[in-house]
Amino acid sequence: MSLPEAEILFALVRHRYADRLDAAQLEEVRKTVEGLVRDLAALRAAEIPDDAEPAQPFIPFRADRYPQGGTPREGHASEHRVSHDP
Amino acid sequence: MSIAFRTIRELGADIRAGRLSPVALAEECMQRLDTVGRKLNAVVTLTRERALKQARRAEEELKAGRDRGPLHGIPYGAKDLLATSGGIPTTWGAAPFKDRRFDFDATVIERLEQAGAVLLAKLAMVEFAGGMGYRQPNASFTGPGISPWAPDAWSGGSSSGSGSAVGAGCVPFAIGSETWGSILGPSTYCSITGLRPTYGRVSRHGAMALCWTLDKLGPMALTADDCGLVLDAIAGADPRDPTTSNRSYRYDGGAARQFRFAVVRGTVDATEPGVRDAVAAALDTLKSIGSIEEITLPERPYEPMARIILWAEGASAAEQMIESGAIAGLTAPEDRVTPYARDVILAKDYLRALRLRGVVAREIDGVLRRFDAIVGPSRGTAGPRLGAEFRSAIRGSFPDPLGAIGNAAGLPAVGVPCGLTPDGMPVGLQLMGRAWEENTLLAAARAWQARTDFHRRRPPLS
Repeated sequence: MSLPEAEILFALVRHRYADRLDAAQLEEVRKTVEGLVRDLAALRAAEIPDDAEPAQPFIPFRADRYPQGGTPREGHASEHRVSHDP
Repeated sequence: MSIAFRTIRELGADIRAGRLSPVALAEECMQRLDTVGRKLNAVVTLTRERALKQARRAEEELKAGRDRGPLHGIPYGAKDLLATSGGIPTTWGAAPFKDRRFDFDATVIERLEQAGAVLLAKLAMVEFAGGMGYRQPNASFTGPGISPWAPDAWSGGSSSGSGSAVGAGCVPFAIGSETWGSILGPSTYCSITGLRPTYGRVSRHGAMALCWTLDKLGPMALTADDCGLVLDAIAGADPRDPTTSNRSYRYDGGAARQFRFAVVRGTVDATEPGVRDAVAAALDTLKSIGSIEEITLPERPYEPMARIILWAEGASAAEQMIESGAIAGLTAPEDRVTPYARDVILAKDYLRALRLRGVVAREIDGVLRRFDAIVGPSRGTAGPRLGAEFRSAIRGSFPDPLGAIGNAAGLPAVGVPCGLTPDGMPVGLQLMGRAWEENTLLAAARAWQARTDFHRRRPPLS
C-alpha cells in the first residue's frame, strides 16, 4: 500500500521524467520513493535540540589563504572535485 | 620467489637489500594483474608506460642512495575514480566515461608518486561508486567484481578492483574510496585489510564526487601495518580540498598494549549465521589483547540519516548525468532508474539529517572517549553470489548502524580478516575509533594480526 506522501512525491518524479521511463521503470521509481518516505518519517520523528546546527563544512574563501598557490581551479572550493559532466 | 602476497615491508626490505628490482617487481605485478586480475574483472587500465618510468626512476634513485621511504619502488593500483594525467582514462566504472581523460593527477596520486610508489593500474569499481543505487554485482562496464575466494562470488563494492587485486596478490596495496562501506566491504569479501580514514584526513582533490560530506579515500592492503605506511604517504592538508584538516599525521608503528573495546549490543546477532559465528569467535580472541564491554547506543535513525545525506548530495553531485538522461548508458538496470526518485528529498529534510549528524557525532564521541574502539562485523553478510541481489544498508535492506554512524560522523575504521563462513567465504571485523585516532586503531589491528593468521591465508586461486 502506498503512503499518501509517497504518492504525491512519486507524482512529482513522474511529472518530470515519465517521458524517459517505461512502466516497469516507473514502478521501480515508485518503490524507491516509498523507501525514501519511510526514511524521511524516521528522520522527522527523531528528537533534535533546537540549537543543533547542520554538520557540514563551509569555509569562507580567500585566495591569499592558499600559500601553496595553484591554478584558479585549485583555489575554489566549489571546483576542487571532479565534475560529472558526461 | 613469487612476489604475490608479499607485504610492503617485505618487498621494501628485498628492494633495499638488492634482492629485488623495482622494475622486475612492477613487471611481475603487471603480468599478474593482466592474467589473474583480469579474470576477476579487477583491472580497467594497465598504466604500463607510467609504471615502468616510475619503477626505473625508483631503481636509479635507490641505487644512488636517495630513499623516499617505505613506498619507494612499491607497486600499487588506484580505484578508477582518481584522476590521472598522461592520457590514462579515468572511467568511474561507468560506460559513458570509458574514454574520459584528465590532464592532472589527483592529490593522492601525486603524493604516492612523491613517495616513490609505482602506479601499475587503474582498478575497477562499481559505476559511480555505487551512488546510483545498484543492488546486484553487475554494475560496472568492466563486469562484476569477482572475489579471489570464489569464482562465483562478488568482490564487494564499490572499490571492487582494489579489493580483488590486493586479495589475489596482484599488488601489495591499492587505494579505495568509501562513502558508506566501499572500503570495508570489498576488504571483507576479498579478505584483506582496509582503512577508512577520518573525514578530512586525506585529500579528495581529483576524486569523483559522490557525496561531498561523506566521501573518503583510504588504503587497502594485506596488513594493518601496510595500511599505516600508505596513510602516512597520502594524509595531510591540501589547499585544493578545503575539507582536509591541518592536523599532521605520522604513522606510529609503536609497541602493543592492552586495549579497551566496546561492542554494541545486537550488532553481532543481526548478521547472517556464518558471519555471526566467525565474529563471535573473533571477539573471544580479541580478549587476549584487551577488554570488551557490551554497550548500547541511543535510539536514533542512524541508517535513514546517512541515506538521506547520501541520496540528497548524490542527486546533486550527479545532477548533470541524471538530468541529461546519460544514466541510461549505465550497466545496472536499476542505476538507470533509481536516481530519479531522489528528487523528492526536501531541503528541510536534508538539513534535518545534517543536524542529527552533529548530534550523533557528539554522542558517539562521548561513547568512544571511554574506549579505543567499537568493534563489530565489517559486513553483516558473506560475499553474495554473482547474479544475485544482495542486501545492503544503502538500499535499506540490511542493518548497518556502525557503518551509518562511522561514515556520517566521519570516523576512522579499520577492517581486518577474522575468519571464514562454513562455505569458505571471508568474514571481517571492524574497529571504529574516535576522529583522528587511526594510529590507535592500527595498533589494535596489528596486535590482532600478531595473534591470528587470517590475513596470511590465501584464496583458492593462488
